[in-house]
Amino acid sequence: MKVSYQWLREYVDLADLSPEALADKLTSAGLAVDAVEPRNKGVSGVVVGEIVAARQHPNADRLRVCMVNVGTGEPLQIVCGAPNANPGLRVPVALPGATLPGGVQIRRTTLRGVESNGMLCSAAEIGLETRLLPSAQATGLFVLPEETPIGEDIVKVLCLDDVVLDIDLTPNRSDCFSIRGLVHEVAAILRSRHSFPEHIEAPKGAGESPIAIDLATERCPRYEAQVLDGINQTSSPLWMQMRLIAMGIRTIDLVVDVTNYVMLEWGQPLHAFDADSIAQSQIVVRQAHDGEELVTLDGQKRTLTRDMIVISDPEKAIGLAGVMGGENSEITASTRRIALESARFDGSSVRRTGQRLGLRSEAQQRFEKGVDPAAISPALARATALLVELGGARPIGPSVAVHQERKAGDSWQIPFVPEQCREALGFAISNDEMEAIFHALGFGVHRQEDKWLVEVPSRRADVTLTADLYEEIARLHGYDNIPSTVTVLPVTPGMRDRRQAMLAKARVLLVNMGLFEVRTYALTSPDALAPLSSPYRPIPLLLPMSDERRVLRTHLLPSLAEVAVHNLAHQVPGGAVFEIGKSYLTSELPLRSQPQEREVIAMLWFGETEGTLYEKARRYDFYDAKGVLENLLAALGADASYVRSAIPWLHPGRSADIVAGEETIGVVGELHPETAKAFGIDRAIYAEIDVASLLATRESDMQAKALPRFPGSRRDIAIVVDRETLVGDLLRTVRERLATSGLLQGLRAFDVYVGEGVPEGRKSVAITMFFQHAEHTLTDDEIEQLVATAIDALRVNHNAQLRS
Amino acid sequence: MEALIVQLRRLQETALAELTKISATKDLTNWRVQYLGKKSELNALSKQMGGLRQEERPLFGERVNEVRNALEAAYLERQTALAAAEQALRLAQETIDITLPGRAIGRGAIHPISRVIQEIEDIFLGMGFSIVDGPEIETDHYNFELLNLPKDHPARDMQDTFYLSDELLLRTHTSPMQVRTMERMQGDVPIKVIVPGRVYRRDEDDATHSHQFTQIEGLVVGEGIRMSDLKGTLESFAKALFGPEQRVRLRPSYFPFTEPSAEVDLLCVHCHGEGCRVCKGTGWIEILGAGMVHPRVLDMSGYDSTRYSGFAFGMGPERIAMLRYGISDIRLLYQNDLRFLAQFARA
Ligand SMILES: [Zn+2]
Repeated sequence: MKVSYQWLREYVDLADLSPEALADKLTSAGLAVDAVEPRNKGVSGVVVGEIVAARQHPNADRLRVCMVNVGTGEPLQIVCGAPNANPGLRVPVALPGATLPGGVQIRRTTLRGVESNGMLCSAAEIGLETRLLPSAQATGLFVLPEETPIGEDIVKVLCLDDVVLDIDLTPNRSDCFSIRGLVHEVAAILRSRHSFPEHIEAPKGAGESPIAIDLATERCPRYEAQVLDGINQTSSPLWMQMRLIAMGIRTIDLVVDVTNYVMLEWGQPLHAFDADSIAQSQIVVRQAHDGEELVTLDGQKRTLTRDMIVISDPEKAIGLAGVMGGENSEITASTRRIALESARFDGSSVRRTGQRLGLRSEAQQRFEKGVDPAAISPALARATALLVELGGARPIGPSVAVHQERKAGDSWQIPFVPEQCREALGFAISNDEMEAIFHALGFGVHRQEDKWLVEVPSRRADVTLTADLYEEIARLHGYDNIPSTVTVLPVTPGMRDRRQAMLAKARVLLVNMGLFEVRTYALTSPDALAPLSSPYRPIPLLLPMSDERRVLRTHLLPSLAEVAVHNLAHQVPGGAVFEIGKSYLTSELPLRSQPQEREVIAMLWFGETEGTLYEKARRYDFYDAKGVLENLLAALGADASYVRSAIPWLHPGRSADIVAGEETIGVVGELHPETAKAFGIDRAIYAEIDVASLLATRESDMQAKALPRFPGSRRDIAIVVDRETLVGDLLRTVRERLATSGLLQGLRAFDVYVGEGVPEGRKSVAITMFFQHAEHTLTDDEIEQLVATAIDALRVNHNAQLRS
Repeated sequence: MEALIVQLRRLQETALAELTKISATKDLTNWRVQYLGKKSELNALSKQMGGLRQEERPLFGERVNEVRNALEAAYLERQTALAAAEQALRLAQETIDITLPGRAIGRGAIHPISRVIQEIEDIFLGMGFSIVDGPEIETDHYNFELLNLPKDHPARDMQDTFYLSDELLLRTHTSPMQVRTMERMQGDVPIKVIVPGRVYRRDEDDATHSHQFTQIEGLVVGEGIRMSDLKGTLESFAKALFGPEQRVRLRPSYFPFTEPSAEVDLLCVHCHGEGCRVCKGTGWIEILGAGMVHPRVLDMSGYDSTRYSGFAFGMGPERIAMLRYGISDIRLLYQNDLRFLAQFARA
């Protein structure tokens, strides 16, 4: 909200407080001032002048030579290019030596052979925001009212010495959406007096008001109207225009400007109707009918719904309450009588209506946040008085006010115990100081021993609870005065739970194995998920912001593939990345309850390794991924095995399900070439571990066993088996066959060979076994027997031949 | 005997002269056999002692031993010297280029947001807080209504929301976990938790906005919790995160679910309060939103607000990461360019 410093100063004694100092005080009290901007954008040496004569420039078609009276005796000769440089007009004159916004210096000069002693100025040239001016004033010379004193400094005439504070109001402080509220606030902060009137005596017309009001909806608790006659439809005075502009409001004509001016001053939006367009002189405030139509002031035909409030007469709607008037009741040049409306409408309803119709006016924002019931009458009286004073209007009868039974109270009482306030805030502040703060805020205090009742005026609708009073005390005493203390609470152990600890470990383990952690967006597009042919339909947003981000992902692979694509396109030859993230799964769409959020550790290896002196660059392969997984799972205490996977988007021969116990806890595999192609990458290895499944597996034991006292023996064998035979199966056969002996302490394959010396379709596998007995040194005979048993099992189960 | 003595001396001279000519340890053995072995001249000479007079024998024997000892000593000395020289040569030949890189042990990096989250978690764990996680897809009820934000409340404009249905949405903050935690604790105190997690808002992505970002929420509920405790807790946190000279400043603000509410500023981490570009000359930077848990929120969550009180706070790890690591564009944090991430490899 933009606020004029001078306007505030009219009602509250700011003494020597500069706008900047005032801004600091407001910010400290919770009204954050974002900017302090002088209205004067660099104007000096510009005065009011009257064009006394204007003639055609002898050497230029578009220029005129004007004689301008600036009150210094001899008129100045000034060459001007504006089409409206006509005799009789009073305009801003930049004298020689003047400065204009942007650092423009005005000098005595000669234009096409004619001497020019200054410059006649347009609105833009003196730094006025032309978008806030009537269109006639936005171009050409800025025309000042006839009575503007000649020779007067334009800075004074246009109040350019004012300063505008831009306050970022929090939604609860709707009271400060007005000069009135800010005056109260500033007076409270400064603990000074203010002169803002609480009541306004409106000039009353003779007789009865011609208008009748019918409140046919509970969403309008109060409605008041005043009819005026004989309004002189002119423009508003300069000072009013300048205050409106300072606060970012467009000036239009007297009636509109007065309603806006009073809205800024009192926070109460007003609306003016053509009184003669109201059939039977009867205003009915009611809910709209579904499908009812109204052409609003902006010329748009609006189709209304039942939950919108309309102002109507017995025949038709004439306005959307609090949002926008109807074209059928607009004030025009032929309007004789106007009806001024001052009312209170239900904020939620106004808000919904505005959202539905895409409108968000100043008035609407004030209704949404709630207007002060106590301001409705004085605001109407103020506007009436201004129209009488400035537009020669005559009130017809008094104003008519109607309100629902449940009359909004002008104040309410909140219990307050000073000692409890001190305890809640944790600082020492005397009872008298607290009372002084309440008084400064304009709150009443009824002290009854140590239990008080604080009376809050209706303009502070945000203060309804004792805690709200605590905040007022803290705020005005100064948050800086709050000390730092330590809670007096029982000691609690702070530690990560099992899942959190495991993920923290996994993160460090993966990083130490060369993977980079990434964080990607959960929102993606159905196209990005398509290559996975997932059984889950992605959950869509109701109102997406873009096509690329309109559904929740059902898998992390597309996100990681996107990372790969980005990096490969940016001169990164390859890498390994992981994310600990979620996918969002549901079997019911549209969504009726919170879906499953599946947490995984997802990994992707793409492109090439970074070549080194010791190992040439090469493409990542399945075993890079598997090595990391083996290491990771061992470190996390999971006993995992790898079983051929049937996942269609992975390479059928190069993918495995990761199994722990009976559970599949994850998957690892090279992307199917078609999948990789769909993601726009060449080859990549994906792996993921389901966090919940991993947590559900039994953690492997960590129990120390005594070291063997007797030496063990190693035996190597080489066997020939069919190419398709899995080494893992061979090892399992040996392990199972020798399990009962309890002597096999080590077993692994150390060579796999295909080629010369091995029959077509077969491969040679070299296996090393390590045997050890706890009680004695094994004899050669014992060992040979074990080896023979192993070989026999391999022969029977895998058609293995011993290779000589 | 004189002749024998002369022979001895000549033998010694010859042997020592020979020894100096030897340049490799492997050739020393021959010399040793020749001059000190069983069949050496020295041995032969010593055997002639029998032909000497009785009184000459000890003297001659002594002379022979002297020569033997001298030769032995010379041998050892030579051997040591040659061995040292040979080892030096061998080591020189084995010299490698120590500026070549070691065998790579791949090292990735924790994402800067995770780094900041972990660090903040560790600080609060040290203060006895627990960490809780919650759903990212929330109900309107938990995300707004139980936080004192009824439907059509103007403050809902502060957070533009991604809705999935009339009732379900992507949480706009981690605050719903305040309520869920209180409900889970069923009236038990104290509650001391932090909630890190992803949140979503309908913001156009630009240098300072991201439609997805992270938050860390904090909640303390118990008896006799004061607003000064909030300040003290956040001050301890700020000192732990940014250094012992840190201070916090509270400014009045508004959140629907706290009352009183505050924006919390820290001394600018860049200029330490002097005023700079980062803090727009104020010396302070806004880091947290905080406040005393609103009595209505306490009551709605089953904690009698006349008996219990508490405070809550929330902060953005992205903002802290950006300040700490000098990141000027939030989008860099979600682009996942490995060249960017590699800058965070320090453990
Ligand atoms: Zn700074």
